[in-house]
Amino acid sequence: MGLEVEEVIESIKQGKHVSEATVYSLCLKSQELLINEANVTRVDTPVTICGDIHGQLHDLLTLFDKSGGVEKTRYIFLGDFVDRGFYSLESFLLLLCYKLRYPDRITLIRGNHETRQITKVYGFYDEIMRKYGNCNVWRYCCEVFDYLSLGAIINDSIFCVHGGLSPEINTIDEIRSIDRKQEAPHEGAMCDLLWSDPDDVDTWSLSPRGAGFLFGKGEVDKFLMKNNVELIARAHQLVMEGYKEMFDGGLVTVWSAPNYCYRCGNVAAVLRIEDDLERNYTIFEAVQPQDGVGNTIIPTKKPQMDYFL
Amino acid sequence: MYYSEYLKTLKQFSRRVFGKINRNITTSFPVMNYGTYLRTISIDYHIEQFLLKCSKLNEKAQIINLGCGSDLRMINLLNYNYKDQIAKFIDVDFDESIKLKDEIISNNESLKISLDASISTNKYHIAPSDLKDAGKTISMLTNVTNAKLPTLIITECVLCYMSQQDSQNLIDSIMNLYESGTWISYDPIGGGDDDMSDQKNKSHGNDRFGIIMQSNLRESRNLEMPTLMTFNSKEKYSQRWNKSVIDNKVDIKINDMWEILNHNVSTAEKKRLRDLQFLDELEELKVMQTHYILLSAEWKHAIK
Repeated sequence: MGLEVEEVIESIKQGKHVSEATVYSLCLKSQELLINEANVTRVDTPVTICGDIHGQLHDLLTLFDKSGGVEKTRYIFLGDFVDRGFYSLESFLLLLCYKLRYPDRITLIRGNHETRQITKVYGFYDEIMRKYGNCNVWRYCCEVFDYLSLGAIINDSIFCVHGGLSPEINTIDEIRSIDRKQEAPHEGAMCDLLWSDPDDVDTWSLSPRGAGFLFGKGEVDKFLMKNNVELIARAHQLVMEGYKEMFDGGLVTVWSAPNYCYRCGNVAAVLRIEDDLERNYTIFEAVQPQDGVGNTIIPTKKPQMDYFL
Repeated sequence: MYYSEYLKTLKQFSRRVFGKINRNITTSFPVMNYGTYLRTISIDYHIEQFLLKCSKLNEKAQIINLGCGSDLRMINLLNYNYKDQIAKFIDVDFDESIKLKDEIISNNESLKISLDASISTNKYHIAPSDLKDAGKTISMLTNVTNAKLPTLIITECVLCYMSQQDSQNLIDSIMNLYESGTWISYDPIGGGDDDMSDQKNKSHGNDRFGIIMQSNLRESRNLEMPTLMTFNSKEKYSQRWNKSVIDNKVDIKINDMWEILNHNVSTAEKKRLRDLQFLDELEELKVMQTHYILLSAEWKHAIK
């Protein structure tokens, strides 16, 4: 297996097709590995926290390049590996391969796009149909989604989650008791962790997304105090500057998909947490796609983005 | 309904174009459907406001849809609520676009029936003209319209394809020709103007939407938008109507589509939209919709 994973990593980097059988076996192995992880994984410093990827494989490769690479660095990915971009499968497989190859160096947290329902609308399902002519590979990947962790805790001091807090959750221990191995539900604690957003609100408020909640400084301060942590690191929202700290530094949004959807023009960031919990941000830009020529990583097609014309 | 009829007949003329449009309709992301919705209802709203005003003043009105493409707005307008208010509805576009539209209408039973009365009474007029040639466009319009009647001009994603000089010529000559009227224009704006934008809105400092849009459109569709970065803010976009040759002040209102969604769409309607199609995030919608605007410019010549 060791050799096979290395081979798949190479194929992905060269933009080669990965066979259905290989995806199946990678997904099975990943499930075996992920099933043993806690809902909230413990991670040690130093570690690099990464936000949404959304199928932008070239930018994911840039991310590893700019932040030391998985051979030397520990990573936490906050979810939303798939949808929107044109290389959802390759991005997700690359992360799974790294997870299999370096299990202690990479933690994968589930995002709101790692669900059957959302991937059917936002691109991943269509991408698989386009690349394989059937949806088997999509089904294998969705099985893996159900095993992804819901959060991580760095040195007992920094809580990592994709979306945010939930009115049903006061302590990190309460997250540990969720039965996570299921399609993400439409409401309740597990849904909120994947969907909620911080905002300038006085108390729990309805989210304009129609799932999860909006929470304010009050909820964040309470959570930090109660759980004796100093920071909530989350992703989930596009930030034009790549990252945004809120509530006197008690919460940070990290966004790692530069020029989101090949259209938004934003930069991306990753956050490195040092042993003394110092925060260091690295900003990076999108890879310029070029027809045929490639960009030393893999050849890519020029994306055709929609506008109102 | 009219659009599905239009598409059905379009298929007989060009399977390639049909396939393209059909694919676009069936695979559009929610963020695109929201934008199309906003664009459609806000233009409709302004047309209705214009007609309502004319009806209160008991004046007949003209509507001129410049660069109409396959827009079928005229059917509802000529058949329902304000049909008696409209003296004339003119669709203007390039020769080949007009020919295709004309052929599709005359080859489709239901489109034909709904427009027959208006065509036979010369109320609906479909006319070829290259808008780059303001002189020819004006002489065509002079022949088929009445310069004294209040006139509504629609340019929906039209001016953005024209050069600065051509679009200014068109605006000046039309506002000069009609004694009174309202101009409704929907277009993208490039953004990225740090000094012009709201200082509190820090996200503008990083705004590269317009530049990326220009390069995406150039590469994938071979499309040019020459003034996207010239008229890159609401303020700069609307300046063109102020320059006009008329003595009287022009009343200009301009909003970006994000403002329209937040201030002009009711809570109930927003809920209806959410129920129709779930939108997973608002940030991308905001980035796109703050770069599209709707302008309404109302003018009246000074009495001589």
